[in-house]
Amino acid sequence: MTPPGGDKKWVGKPLRRKEDDRLVRGRGKFVDDYEMAGMRYLHFVRSPFGHARIRGIDASAAENLPGVEAVLTGAELAETVQPFMQIGPDPGAKLLDYPMAVGKVRYQGEPVAAVIAASRMVAEDAAELVEVDYEPLPAVIDAETALLDETLLHEEAGTNAIYGDRFEWGEVDRAFEEAATVVSIGRLHFHRFSSTPLENNGVVCRWEPDGKIYFVCNNSFPTFGIQFLAPALGVALEQIHVQTHDIGGSFGIKITNYPQMAVCALASRRVGGRPVKWVETRTEHLQGSGHGNERTYLDTRVALDADGVITAISSRHLDDCGAYLRYEPLGCVIWSQVVCATYRLRNLRIDFQQLVTNKCPTAPNRGYSRLQHLWFMERVLDICGHRLGIPADEMRLRNYVRPDEMPYTTPNGCVYDSGDYPAMLARAKELIGWDTWRAKQREAREAGRWVGIGIGTTLDSGTNNFGQSRILNRFLPFSGNSEAANIKIDIDGQIVVSLGSVPQGQGHETTTAQVVAEELGIHPDRVRVRTGFNTEWNTYTGHSGTYASQFAVTGLSAVHGAVGKLKKELARLAAFRLGCGEDQLSFEEGEEGPCLKGPGDASVNYWGLANLVNVNNAELPQELRELTLNCRYIYVPPFEVPDVEKKYGNLTLTYAAQLHVAVVEVDRRTCQARILDYAVVDDCGTVINPVVVEGQVHGAAAHGIGAALYETCAYDPEGNLMTSTFSDYCPITAINMPSLRCANMQTPSPFSFNGAKGMGEGGGAPLHALSAALQDALLSEGVIVGDSHNPPDAIFQTLRGMRPSPRVEVERRGA
Amino acid sequence: MIITHQGDFQVSRPRQEVYDFLTDPERFAPLLPHFKSLEVTDPNNFVVKIKVGVSHIRGTATVRLSNQERRPPEHASYTGTGSMAGGSVSLGASFDLAEVEGGTRVNWQGQAQVFGKIASVARGLLEPLTRKNIQALIDSLQGALDSGAAGGPA
Repeated sequence: MTPPGGDKKWVGKPLRRKEDDRLVRGRGKFVDDYEMAGMRYLHFVRSPFGHARIRGIDASAAENLPGVEAVLTGAELAETVQPFMQIGPDPGAKLLDYPMAVGKVRYQGEPVAAVIAASRMVAEDAAELVEVDYEPLPAVIDAETALLDETLLHEEAGTNAIYGDRFEWGEVDRAFEEAATVVSIGRLHFHRFSSTPLENNGVVCRWEPDGKIYFVCNNSFPTFGIQFLAPALGVALEQIHVQTHDIGGSFGIKITNYPQMAVCALASRRVGGRPVKWVETRTEHLQGSGHGNERTYLDTRVALDADGVITAISSRHLDDCGAYLRYEPLGCVIWSQVVCATYRLRNLRIDFQQLVTNKCPTAPNRGYSRLQHLWFMERVLDICGHRLGIPADEMRLRNYVRPDEMPYTTPNGCVYDSGDYPAMLARAKELIGWDTWRAKQREAREAGRWVGIGIGTTLDSGTNNFGQSRILNRFLPFSGNSEAANIKIDIDGQIVVSLGSVPQGQGHETTTAQVVAEELGIHPDRVRVRTGFNTEWNTYTGHSGTYASQFAVTGLSAVHGAVGKLKKELARLAAFRLGCGEDQLSFEEGEEGPCLKGPGDASVNYWGLANLVNVNNAELPQELRELTLNCRYIYVPPFEVPDVEKKYGNLTLTYAAQLHVAVVEVDRRTCQARILDYAVVDDCGTVINPVVVEGQVHGAAAHGIGAALYETCAYDPEGNLMTSTFSDYCPITAINMPSLRCANMQTPSPFSFNGAKGMGEGGGAPLHALSAALQDALLSEGVIVGDSHNPPDAIFQTLRGMRPSPRVEVERRGA
Repeated sequence: MIITHQGDFQVSRPRQEVYDFLTDPERFAPLLPHFKSLEVTDPNNFVVKIKVGVSHIRGTATVRLSNQERRPPEHASYTGTGSMAGGSVSLGASFDLAEVEGGTRVNWQGQAQVFGKIASVARGLLEPLTRKNIQALIDSLQGALDSGAAGGPA
């Protein structure tokens, strides 16, 4: 293992984040900080119903309110825009998804009209005057009910099951025939939760007279969004200009705010091209931005050999994606990046269906689609372990992919690049004091206390191969991945880097500066990295964005490539200026700034070289006049298009891993689970900046702990979101966040130039570890934890039999 | 969320008078708590405006009610929908009248299906608030019927 930083000067060092200077001083620039002359403000009229037909909208009172400039309705928009493109095949492809509701509302909080006014307050007041005549319809609020198709959300699709397929690898039937033990597990359920970024969604848009549409927004994957926006608005891609600046978190869910961007564009056009601003309230965000996918696991059967090694799993998975498909059905294949989790399992059969329900549309929320599958796999492992009497740690050691098997090819062709899961487990047990806690647990149990210890091993697969989308829809023209970076030496000698990524707190300015500084032999403060994404001023590709745990690989590889090109240009110029060979030059920090040093005392700084190219080029010989000191590089990972028939291929480039161990006690009176101790071991390959990595590890842990014990998007049978404020949603805070015992391990990836693996999503390890710990705590009460969300009322209900534990049956066969 | 309440009360008026009172929006509607106005659109449909509010969510609700079923003098029922900033409600109410010694026994049943922000944010308050308002309505009905406002001698 490589120690942090190794022999590097800047890479691997705990530099303070460059971004924090402005952010902690309140000098960041977010969407709501943008003010423009003549700006108008937009406020949505939203559906109070989960499912209802719109019989009519009377906006006359709102339109007559002083200060109101226009009211747009969904029906009116539908006359001028096309429905958004659908990614998947039929029947999902038949869905008509407009920027606002047309004819029907399908989730509470869905926009039905937009008021544009001279001030935000007037727009809000006017929105209350818009009278919408609804005919309530039965709401479908769970996947199992949706499957019955008794009430259809999208009549044009003819079914609520918008995607379904069998994913099968290996010899499943044979494995079950040869199994020593078969464990059948009843219904498991992964609950619906979201992210709570500090900054809600926001857009400023101006539809300019020349047809250009100018967006300042916080969409975190604009190159994806504009491919939906342009055809819907009937404009060319090059007419759309998107800019981001500081973004107060996205966690993936801001990828799908393009419908609101479309409404703002149309609103701007409606009010004569004036800029229009829309900023979401917290309740609007919880009701109508994007939730994580909810998943139900049915008919699970597990084959094990005599040693407790899992040899096959078959199961049926129902994914609830809410009312519209916005980023779906991509989640229907993305889970298969981690199909066997961290285990040597070779035979799987998963019948996967995705269903629409009367809930907020889902978005690729942190750990998207993989954490749901990883939670399922961890539950299966622990339930089998408990029933077979194999301790949780031993069960894992018997099933883990071994380090000597790396790189490990999974049954569906994914390649785990590196990792040492047994060593991570050993380190985590050491961190938490495993044996001591086991002894304390025995004592506690003797005293009648419910104390449990749980392990969660998880993967954070990074750098998508977009070719996996063809497994869903073979006609999609997407595959591979790419990222761009540009580095230039300005006329004054400054080093300026622009990225295709869209950072939302990941510290891209810092880590980029570290890589550039390392390679140019200068201080990171010399490197200016432009903030945010910009289609006009920055470089990007069609895959650019910040998602899927990939910047350390894709973004920094692009930076590395661009710096390499720049260094070649600088060397050619310096060799000419100093009259020496390129091999006699070194890149250093000189007395007059960054420079190239030649033989003896000779040196030339960047200003001198930039001067030659930009304002003194008559001195240059002809062969050097092609140099620009403005170098773009596109990194392309080594992917191939997967075999769509076999659903086989490498779907992601790197596999960071996290291993969490949680010790919990359930209060016998209140049923509140209290975390007594918590350990985290993280392996994301070579670490570029330990401060940034630790921040991501803490954030992912907090997110997962919050989801496991507090946070949920709960709907009542009528489709009312019951957790639409922070009081009800209960996001985790410093008050209920435990102290973490953290350790880092580094198994460098052989597939990235720097050994780094993408990280940050975290794989939901706290959900796995806390479910396991709660089961360990409550096993004596006959509880099998079958749900990922376990607040006190749920534990109470489980203990009283009001929320049944999943049925588990064990069939032992003869030796 | 669905809120259901039921109960009964007795008044000293004859059944037909009670029935006439309960099916006459001009007399019945003003007894609704926080009543503001009534507009009778036709013999079977009327619109009532009432002041409503839970915590900071306050405003005027417009409730459109229809006579759903009438079996004089023993049964009457209403259905309706209401809307206000922050929510909507679907309503149902029925009255079954039985002659008893000294007057009429009224068995009533009410159901409200609440949608929107008000249901999301004020779920915990709606149940007791509804109970309180229904009790206020029943008290008013009882008072009006027993005091002679029903239109005949008590």
